[in-house]
Amino acid sequence: MSKIVAITGAGAMSECMRQINPDVVPAFPITPSTQVIEDFSQFVADGRVDTEMITVESEHSAMSACIGAAAAGGRVMTATSSAGMALMWEMLYIAASMRQPIVMTLINRALSAPINIHADHGDSMGARDAGWIQLYAENNQEAYDNLIMAPRIAEAMNVRLPVMVCMDGFIISHCVQTMQLEDDDRVKAFIGEFASTYPVLDTDHPATWGALDLQDYYMEHKRALHMAMKNSKTVIQNVSAEFADVFGRKYDLFESYRLDDADRVIVAINSVAGEIKEVIDERRDAGDRVGLLKIRVFRPFPYAEIAAALEGVKIVTVLDRSESMGGYGPLFCEIRAALFDAPERPLVYSRTFGLGGRELFMADIHDIFEENKRYLETGTVEKTADYLKVRGG
Amino acid sequence: MKEKYRLKDWQELPIGGVVADGGNSADYETGTWRTSRPIWHGENCINCLTCWIFCPEDAFILKDGVTKSGKSRKEIDHINYYHCKGCGLCARECPVNKKGKRVAIEFVKEEH
Repeated sequence: MSKIVAITGAGAMSECMRQINPDVVPAFPITPSTQVIEDFSQFVADGRVDTEMITVESEHSAMSACIGAAAAGGRVMTATSSAGMALMWEMLYIAASMRQPIVMTLINRALSAPINIHADHGDSMGARDAGWIQLYAENNQEAYDNLIMAPRIAEAMNVRLPVMVCMDGFIISHCVQTMQLEDDDRVKAFIGEFASTYPVLDTDHPATWGALDLQDYYMEHKRALHMAMKNSKTVIQNVSAEFADVFGRKYDLFESYRLDDADRVIVAINSVAGEIKEVIDERRDAGDRVGLLKIRVFRPFPYAEIAAALEGVKIVTVLDRSESMGGYGPLFCEIRAALFDAPERPLVYSRTFGLGGRELFMADIHDIFEENKRYLETGTVEKTADYLKVRGG
Repeated sequence: MKEKYRLKDWQELPIGGVVADGGNSADYETGTWRTSRPIWHGENCINCLTCWIFCPEDAFILKDGVTKSGKSRKEIDHINYYHCKGCGLCARECPVNKKGKRVAIEFVKEEH
């Protein structure tokens, strides 16, 4: 039976993995994604899933085993965070380039050094060029729903790409929220049976995976991967529409929150969107025309759709929860690129916040709206890129 | 010799670089790598098959023949330029070339 439960974000992911019942889960636990694997290993031990769980000696091995198991013909899932995914780096690209529909929960955490276990998006943003579809979530429910949809998206025959389901470390992974836990059978029915392509274990049809490409073919394979990523956009929309029909919760490539008639908009990813919505409601009550565009799908990036959604907006504040040292933040670069060809290009600027888990409170978000109000009145942005809440300015 | 190998467009490739048909390395035109080419001169060849033994691409194609005394043997027929990658081992190892009076395998710059 579908029921309302109080559960942590990480707990919701392991429950979802139990419902999906993947063939293989190779994993190496790392804070703050540990609970996902901890709970799931209990399900394995208790015989509540049929999964072959492989406890590997590192994350590089975890992703290697994921690729091998997926190439062998199984539905494969894992989870990691931060340094764990950094150690997977080489294999992330191989998973995507070998077009294995692996589904991974990534609980966003800052990268060392200094060592820090709290939320920022440095891990997933660094992996944005690897060829993984990236879904982001504001809260436990969205993360859980994304994980239900992820295998459908990954396994679509015109996609066949790995999917990363992201949420903020601790803020979401370790905080108990109430959410709708769907019925096991309905989740299983929604996901369906796994269909493999050229499985290695099909010895009647031997195939070679991971062969060499020279100057003559490498570029064509990358071009094909890019096309799969483009195809995935429609697949994500279709799967989300079907999800809404079955489970009643609506998702798209991004969420438009009170964007109609908004002059000043914040673009953000993940948990901070919750506070931003509260602030927007307060300011809207006072007659302030502000809104939020919350990214759900960062790869593939919906440039045209975002440009259309932001049409008529006069100023856009992009909040990046990761830093590109010596460059602009990754979300800012995409939003600016999306808006460059807009008939009436709004002012667009970047504010980096929340690195290593530093909180952004509702008062801080009010300050952002006061700041962009001032910029809109004067018609100039003081600094194209700056930090929020860093001592020394 | 096979027809000229056509490089496929990205839409035609099997997913993820998978090699779906085993034993297809013979289809690969290593001849495109060549910057120099061996030219076999049958009139100077003693059919010792040293080139055939050394060739890493199996590009020396043999035919049935007979010695002057009538014994059957294998002889060089031609070089398969589809697979010959122009390494020059054949010309270097050729015992006729080594003697220096005649040339059985000439090694010349490829004209592009």
